[in-house]
Amino acid sequence: MAIKYTIQGLLIYAAIAVYLLAFVITLLKQRKAGHGLFFAGFLLAAVAIGYRWFDVRHIPLQNLFEVFLVLGTLVYPISVFCNRVLRIGGVAADMLIGVIVLFPAGFVFNAEPMQLPPALQSWLFGPHVFVYMLSYILMTKAAVQAASQLSGGISKNNLLSPEEATYRMVCAGFPLLTLGLVLGSVWGQIAWGDWWGWDPKELWSLASWLVYVGYLHFRYMFGKRHPRLNSTWAILGLIVILITLLWVNLSRLFPGLHSYAM
Amino acid sequence: MEQAGLKKSLRSKRLISWANLVMTLILTAISIYGAFIGADKAQLLFNSIPLSVYWLAFTVLLITGIVVLPRLLHIRGLFLAHTGCVLILGGGICGSQAGFKIWDSLAHTDTIRSGQMVIREGETDATVEIDTQKGIVKPLPFAIKLVDFRLEYYQPEQIMIQTRIGESFKIPAEPGLKHTLNANLGTVEVVKTFQKFRMMTSNGKMAAFDDPNGGPNPAVELRLIGPDGKESTKYVFERFPGHTNPGDNLAFSYHRTIRDFISDVEVVKDNKVVARKSIEVNKPLHYGGYLFYQQGYDSEAGRYTILRVTNDRGLGVVYLGYILLCAGAFWHLWFRHTLGDREIED
Repeated sequence: MAIKYTIQGLLIYAAIAVYLLAFVITLLKQRKAGHGLFFAGFLLAAVAIGYRWFDVRHIPLQNLFEVFLVLGTLVYPISVFCNRVLRIGGVAADMLIGVIVLFPAGFVFNAEPMQLPPALQSWLFGPHVFVYMLSYILMTKAAVQAASQLSGGISKNNLLSPEEATYRMVCAGFPLLTLGLVLGSVWGQIAWGDWWGWDPKELWSLASWLVYVGYLHFRYMFGKRHPRLNSTWAILGLIVILITLLWVNLSRLFPGLHSYAM
Repeated sequence: MEQAGLKKSLRSKRLISWANLVMTLILTAISIYGAFIGADKAQLLFNSIPLSVYWLAFTVLLITGIVVLPRLLHIRGLFLAHTGCVLILGGGICGSQAGFKIWDSLAHTDTIRSGQMVIREGETDATVEIDTQKGIVKPLPFAIKLVDFRLEYYQPEQIMIQTRIGESFKIPAEPGLKHTLNANLGTVEVVKTFQKFRMMTSNGKMAAFDDPNGGPNPAVELRLIGPDGKESTKYVFERFPGHTNPGDNLAFSYHRTIRDFISDVEVVKDNKVVARKSIEVNKPLHYGGYLFYQQGYDSEAGRYTILRVTNDRGLGVVYLGYILLCAGAFWHLWFRHTLGDREIED
């Protein structure tokens, strides 16, 4: 664990602190103040991204530090969208997700700026990674709702029940997960000459996509008759996503074409 | 009788749904297993005979599902997404090793599926190495001429300086730039950079110069000004980083990061140049049903390029499948359910 004594680092730490404060305040039933702090944390994280972008002179999605910084920023707009448009709660949990994803960016991952290798200099680089990040946040929210369902949570404020919310989040995240996979495949064809290379990262990405394919088919076949199984399936999906995002890049078990994304 | 027929029909529909779910779970498990064994072995596994049978069976199952299950046929998003999957699998089978073998045996052809070309600057080649270890080569119906190969680097290039106590400094290799490290270490001035560094004695003095006839030897000339004002000259070589003498307080290394590698090629057919292209990473040449990718280069002298050659058979079908899959997924899950607020009927 290393503390970053830089403007970038300070912005991230401030965002983490404000997200955490927002979480505590929301738990204390001060919803408006909590939301205001959540928004402030988002602004701090967004400034940290802008700072990074200016520093590295390319869209900051190259390594795990940048990816987690972006994830920590996306939490707020996705939370607002889900709450207002999709009628899905869990705003307090979203604040905590913001803390959890910003923590490794602040304390674990190396923030040394890197120049883009030739393979990453493609118009598909930004869309491919960004779409995946959006879907990962949505699937994380789905898993939170699923955990809430398993722990006996009930719907509040005319929002959807946790089981229905899980399903709706998966419905929102799955097309993006599909698009991320497809864009990655098209990029692989353009850069390396293979639209599918059987690389460990590709296979884990396929596995995570297939887990959600399985979830959607199972939910279609049985509806809400097995809510605990539906929820477990959604949580399993997030576990496979975490392996795809973290373990594949950090472990030496999976050397491959995506090794630069550390 | 009618009720029995209805029951039978329901049972077969349920069977297809279950079979689809089981096939999905099997593929999930094999994908995870494939990730553990590495890309090369995974490629062999997924192209093996049992898995070829699996791909065919899955494709047939999906087609059967589209035909038999009314939901898949009549709900636009589901139809598009599942048809997309069929096309991706179909395109993949066409472009696979087995697909090429079957096609070649039926059409009595000997098509190149994939391979590589090693071409020296100024030379023309029309053969593709299919298996470099076994020495198998196949001819192309046209030739590729490498007009020029070049590497481009990020600017400015960097000089890393490390002290004996572990301090490190990074300064840009820009001629004329002076950088004071600290009061104890003095100042470093970048004098000149070289691409093909050579030394020669002239009038009893050693002089460094760029030798246009020499091989690549990137280097940078530094003037070190110590805290006592004493000056010395230091040459730092990219290929020999960190070289120090016993009395040196500082260790230097010269770093250049490749921004791009580019092959300027011409396609020659019947002694005529029919196409020209600068092949870069992410910018392949597409000609005559083949794609040519910038795969590698001569890292010693930069005199030859390595191009990966692949056949584009099945690629269009896969891309069409991708479009349909994405269109179907967004249509059904976003506009029908998530935003359209419709729940899936049990």
